[in-house]
Amino acid sequence: MSVEIICKGLAKTYTGGVEAVRPLDLTLVAGQTTALVGPSGCGKSTLLRMIAGLEDASSGTLTIGGAPAADTLARAGLAVAFQDPSLLPWRTVRQNIELALDLARKPRKAADIDQLIHLVGLDGFADTRPGALSGGMRQRAAIARALSTNPDLLLLDEPFGAVDELTRAQLAADLPGIWEARGTTTLLVTHSVTEAVTLSDRIIVLSPRPAAIVADIKVDLSRPRPSNLKALPAFQTHVDATFAALSHGVADTLPKAAQ
Amino acid sequence: MTHARQWIGPILALVLWEGFAHLFASAFVLAAPSAILLYLYENAGLLTRALGVTLANAAAGFLIGNAAAILLAGLAIALPRSENIVRALALVVFCLPLVATGPVLRILFGPGAGPQITLAALAVYYTTLIPLLVGLRAVPSDWLDLVRSYGRGRMTALLRVRAMASFPYLVAGLQIAAPAAFLGAMVGEFTGAERGMGVLTIRAMRDLNIEMTWALATVATAVAVLAYLAIGYAARRVLTEEPPVILAAPAAKRRNLFSSIAMVTFSTAAILALWWVGLDALNLSSFFAKRPDDLVDALFLAPDATQTRAALAAALSETLIFLFPGYLAGLLAGATLAMAIILAPSLANTAMPLAIALRSVPIITTAPLVVLLLGRGAVGTVTLIAIMVFFPTFIACLHGLRQAPGRATDVMRSYAASDMAILRHVRVPAMLPAFFAAARINVPASILAVTVVEWLATGNGLGALMALSASLSDYDMLWSAVVLTTLLAVLGYGLVGALERRVLQTYAPEQLA
Ligand SMILES: Nc1ncnc2c1ncn2[C@@H]1O[C@H](COP(=O)(O)OP(=O)(O)O)[C@@H](O)[C@H]1O
Ligand SMILES: [Mg+2]
Repeated sequence: MSVEIICKGLAKTYTGGVEAVRPLDLTLVAGQTTALVGPSGCGKSTLLRMIAGLEDASSGTLTIGGAPAADTLARAGLAVAFQDPSLLPWRTVRQNIELALDLARKPRKAADIDQLIHLVGLDGFADTRPGALSGGMRQRAAIARALSTNPDLLLLDEPFGAVDELTRAQLAADLPGIWEARGTTTLLVTHSVTEAVTLSDRIIVLSPRPAAIVADIKVDLSRPRPSNLKALPAFQTHVDATFAALSHGVADTLPKAAQ
Repeated sequence: MTHARQWIGPILALVLWEGFAHLFASAFVLAAPSAILLYLYENAGLLTRALGVTLANAAAGFLIGNAAAILLAGLAIALPRSENIVRALALVVFCLPLVATGPVLRILFGPGAGPQITLAALAVYYTTLIPLLVGLRAVPSDWLDLVRSYGRGRMTALLRVRAMASFPYLVAGLQIAAPAAFLGAMVGEFTGAERGMGVLTIRAMRDLNIEMTWALATVATAVAVLAYLAIGYAARRVLTEEPPVILAAPAAKRRNLFSSIAMVTFSTAAILALWWVGLDALNLSSFFAKRPDDLVDALFLAPDATQTRAALAAALSETLIFLFPGYLAGLLAGATLAMAIILAPSLANTAMPLAIALRSVPIITTAPLVVLLLGRGAVGTVTLIAIMVFFPTFIACLHGLRQAPGRATDVMRSYAASDMAILRHVRVPAMLPAFFAAARINVPASILAVTVVEWLATGNGLGALMALSASLSDYDMLWSAVVLTTLLAVLGYGLVGALERRVLQTYAPEQLA
């Protein structure tokens, strides 16, 4: 199932007065992967947490799959991979994944779990506790956990921050296949421009805090992405446009995505 | 090699002890290790039976008290509004002087194990409740967000995340609770039980039986240390990390004056109401069970009200004279030794386990010894209070000093700062929260110590007043003394907490949430 997320005038000012997100309008198209790019501290996590229902918006409305967010969140089948992997230290990788399945009231299927663990490259570590894993391995376990419940809405907050380049490339090649096959609506927060271009259908560039949308760039590259993606001129064009937007230029060399 | 060297110190101490005991045999204070062993061997049957009785009562109290602590902590987390009142009630009950609750419970329960078990339960539930509350709260918010993101509520978070996350804290509490339960059971036995270690201790003291006193202290110490180690060992098989060293909850957030007053008023009202309703519900004779209005009557309206007040004031001042120096000396000694030891890290590695083990020694068993060694006068009393305060303070401070952020220490080192400078600028500020946590929990502990010593040894102060009025059935006096002692403990606890907030605001503001 694909769900559409509509933010209307969504804004957040923390108690204490920090304005993290300016009122913004944003529609996450059902089944698409949207990347959220912006300088660190600009409000990306805040926006993601509001969409996840973990943070109350100061103003504005959020609609998920046509209904107000509050009613639909649990039913929408949400999964979040947090910026900090936040695995429970007393549970093994497998048990952490099983906990997510329990929480989402989904059956535990050993074969599915093994396959996910394989996919994120953690073969042989299924029964290891997070304390004995590297930072990158923990993040991969957290990604496996997020995918395990087959969510309709997948929110990833800088999921590859501590993952090494090589594994990152491998994950970038494998992961989109999974959420595309299910039509998962995905929001990927990242500060890596190449990652955004590689993984997403659309890139939202945010201004420094308080976050406001400075550019909305459609990624016009075929799916699945070719293996020589980074050598293509179109890839470089997108990267340049995103960088330009990030440094407060406006990307007008590329077609604007439909609102 | 290093293994062998570890034993040199203890063996040397034993030899010296043996030597001194023979040297001062005529002084009737010190029993030689050989004499203690001989006594233990010759009276193995008697001691084993007494130990069995006390252990059974302590175990029952341990289970009941900890179960109550776990339930209360669960309640406070499930209904956050109830936390303040749960904490306040728990503190007041914890501050009730065992010296008086013992005789009162004896009257309520009559003969049997009731008072022993109840006192054991009362002695443990607070030291479990507080770390547990800290542990249940100290959960990274991401873990709770994870539960919420799957659309699940507080109860799921409590059962699936908080409960497990607080487990190391529970263990830390249980480790302190095990010797405390033993202590509670022994105090219960002082109030007229037929069998048990407490009964033997009283007999040994009355008969001035030096070997027996030391033998009982040795057995009680061994039991306390073994219980501590056993729980630690069992926990380490389950846990992935060491139990934390926690003595008290972090200082409460600063409230404004109005809400503080409202909180105190509300708690006081709740306690008075419980007291009133509780006595009515138990349907006790008003000769024995005094309600708040009876005390107002006895203290202000009765013809002998002036004498009653004077007796209380005299006892209070006698107690305070010993309490202050002992409390302060214990705090100072604990903090100073911790700082000294941190400058010699190899020493810390041996001192820490030793201090943790010695902390578990029940005061009840050391009281007779200290009285034997230092007499029934001021020195003995002050020393005992200081010892009671010393160990928790020392352990907490050492722990705090070691927790000094490694990076800050490294930065200081890169500027070639001396160990002393690092101690002053990095470690001591890092130690302050632990020091104050210890200082707070030590207020009731030191009052327990002083009243026990007054009761068992010196015959002065509130401890003796409570014991005397219990035996004379002067229940107006007994209940008034209990209220006064409890108030003293709660007020002291609050005062130290207020001081703590002021100091932390200046020296370690990041420690205040
Ligand atoms: N719970 C909070 N309370 C107050 N301010 C916060 C809170 N969380 C984040 N902020 C502030 O909001 C701003 C945006 O934070 P965040 O959304 O985490 O940024 P990003 O994820 O883009 O790095 C930052 O200035 C941060 O300090
Ligand atoms: Mg962030």
